[in-house]
Amino acid sequence: MGSLKLALFNLLILAAASVLGTLLPQGASQEDLQAHYSRAAAGLIELLGLQDLYHTNWFRFLLVLLGVSLIVCTIQRLPKTLRLLRHREESPTRAKLLKFSHSKEITTVLPIDEAQAHLTRIIAREFAPVRSLESTAGYAGIAEKGRWSRLMVYVVHLSVLMILLGALLGSVFGFKGTMNIPEGASSDEVALSSGHQSMTLPFKVRCDDFDVSYYDTGAPKEFRSDLVLLEEGKEPVQRAIRVNEPLSYRGISFYQASYGSTVKQAEVDLTNQDSGKTTRLTLPLGEPMTIPDANDVIELVNYQQNLSGLGAAVGISLKKGEETQPFGSWILVDQPEFHGNRIKNYRIKPTGVDTVQYTGIQVKRDPGIWMIYVGFITLVVSMGLSFYTSHRKLWVLAYPDRNRTRIIIAGRNNKSSVELERKLDGLYARLHEALNSDEHTKKARA
Amino acid sequence: MNSSLLLSLTTFGYLFCTLLYFSGVVFRFAPLLRWGGIVGFVVLAVQSTGIVLRWVESYAMGYGHAPLSNMYESLVFAAWAIMLIYLIMQWRTGQGSLGVFPSLFAFLAMAYASFSTSVDSKIQPLLPALKSNWLIAHVITCFFGYAAFAVSVGISLVYLAKKRRALDSGSEGILGFFPEPKALDELNYRMILFGFLWLSLGIITGSVWANSAWGTYWSWDPKETWSLITWLIYAAMLHARSMQGWRGNRVAWLSLVGFACVLFTYFGVNFLLSGLHSYGS
Repeated sequence: MGSLKLALFNLLILAAASVLGTLLPQGASQEDLQAHYSRAAAGLIELLGLQDLYHTNWFRFLLVLLGVSLIVCTIQRLPKTLRLLRHREESPTRAKLLKFSHSKEITTVLPIDEAQAHLTRIIAREFAPVRSLESTAGYAGIAEKGRWSRLMVYVVHLSVLMILLGALLGSVFGFKGTMNIPEGASSDEVALSSGHQSMTLPFKVRCDDFDVSYYDTGAPKEFRSDLVLLEEGKEPVQRAIRVNEPLSYRGISFYQASYGSTVKQAEVDLTNQDSGKTTRLTLPLGEPMTIPDANDVIELVNYQQNLSGLGAAVGISLKKGEETQPFGSWILVDQPEFHGNRIKNYRIKPTGVDTVQYTGIQVKRDPGIWMIYVGFITLVVSMGLSFYTSHRKLWVLAYPDRNRTRIIIAGRNNKSSVELERKLDGLYARLHEALNSDEHTKKARA
Repeated sequence: MNSSLLLSLTTFGYLFCTLLYFSGVVFRFAPLLRWGGIVGFVVLAVQSTGIVLRWVESYAMGYGHAPLSNMYESLVFAAWAIMLIYLIMQWRTGQGSLGVFPSLFAFLAMAYASFSTSVDSKIQPLLPALKSNWLIAHVITCFFGYAAFAVSVGISLVYLAKKRRALDSGSEGILGFFPEPKALDELNYRMILFGFLWLSLGIITGSVWANSAWGTYWSWDPKETWSLITWLIYAAMLHARSMQGWRGNRVAWLSLVGFACVLFTYFGVNFLLSGLHSYGS
């Protein structure tokens, strides 16, 4: 599980699966699939859930696998890194230091204690404080910078885990859905996006006004809904929402998502074809009405602005007195005399329809979002730090050699060493300047 | 003087810049490369003025938005970002020979923006979904990433050509004027790290924006998905390089694959697939 090969394979499989998902129509119905693909292909797509690929269990499994391999990699490698960071350096030998990719040797006429004083002062100023190491040969010390840089890669991985966990938290404990609220009406029913269920909010949302404004080019400029929240007889929030300007209350957010028009009430002429009698009725949406002089109940249940290109239509259901099941049909409003405008023994002729605009609001509660945002921030910060900082170590060794002092400085870096090389060159120049200035040399000659 | 005049000048400026770099490499004449850098810098300044002017003009028209809102404006910004990143690299490394591809890419982006009939250069009002400060953050971060990857592709192409030539025969011809493969590999890696950081920022800003506009930070929209695919490929490459010791050829090839994904994310998704980002076309 902790193997990098598996993790790489996992990344590439996720990429390949994602490609597949963008090539196949997501959210396509069974009929769509059969219309576009051969029988075998449509069968395969349905079997693997490719028409809703990103929500299939096998795709989720790949994401979980990525999370697990991140955890296992961390468990396997973090102790090693920590041991490396805790490790106390031993005194280096000259031969060992000269083998480093970056090392410099300086000889000075100064005695070792004076040279050591210069060394520690300059390195502390130019790089980092020097820690003395035990040495039998002379003076040895080490200076290091950016130890924490080695830990950054773990923070990057932790951030990815946090994002995955945040998403899981949101999908388990949160909800997402839509509300269509006609102007002037209020509702607390949310139609959930997953499945065909709905849920009730602990407060009501009223839409006082919905408005679309346009640019002079005719393109839409703004969609705005004036919302009022109603809770226990009070109105705790009263605010307009726009696209990009949602409203949040008690952890639930409301986003401007769509709009449309719906029916408020319809006026129809009902002709009983058995008796030939015609009655005019006004049907408010969703309120069953009993037809006068009959035992039958009629209800306006639905509305479409344009039904299959035939214009506006109202959905009407009719329950005959003796039957238990209602019978429904679309009745064309723009073609009132249409021969299909009938249910059972009634001819239905729409004479007037009152429509009202509704606003489509996306509603959601996501208890995982803070974790995702924290993950985003730590991901970017730790990634930047892990790319652009490194753990740099500098060893210094000074020992008397005849009547001079020989000094070796050597550096090591856990990443690209160009920067360290430059640093070392600068340090060497400074040290050379301090240790071999004319004054010392003259003094030594004298 | 208006923005479209300056941006037209920019198109020809980058063409001239490309020719300077190209002849510098072909004739192995270093001063031409230096001139390529100078011309590149001047054109970049002209283009920056053009972009700012377009911004100002949009206010005069009453629309008032940053010039980062449609295909035309994003192509112009892509060219700008490629040249900016490349010129900083040239300034810091002193390598002028690598300017051939970035200046060519910048010219192609400008030429496509200016001459393609499918790209409308008019200043248009912002759709409600785009009215957010995240627009600026999202587009700039994404295109810095894309631009770094474009520069990396140039380096990869040179690297692969040099390696192939080294296998075929001893003499390197015009390729001799480019840096050594090891230096190219290191430069390429640094460019990819830079691009990866910006791409991550781009995806994150897009995600935060989507959450504030639609209430979903990730909806598997084709553009989102393709940016994730690109991210996964570069992520795989960075791991292979640092943990498996992949170097040179493989990294160069992966950089080409990664950039193909970038191009598909940018163009392919707009033209072939539909989704939330369809206003980009």
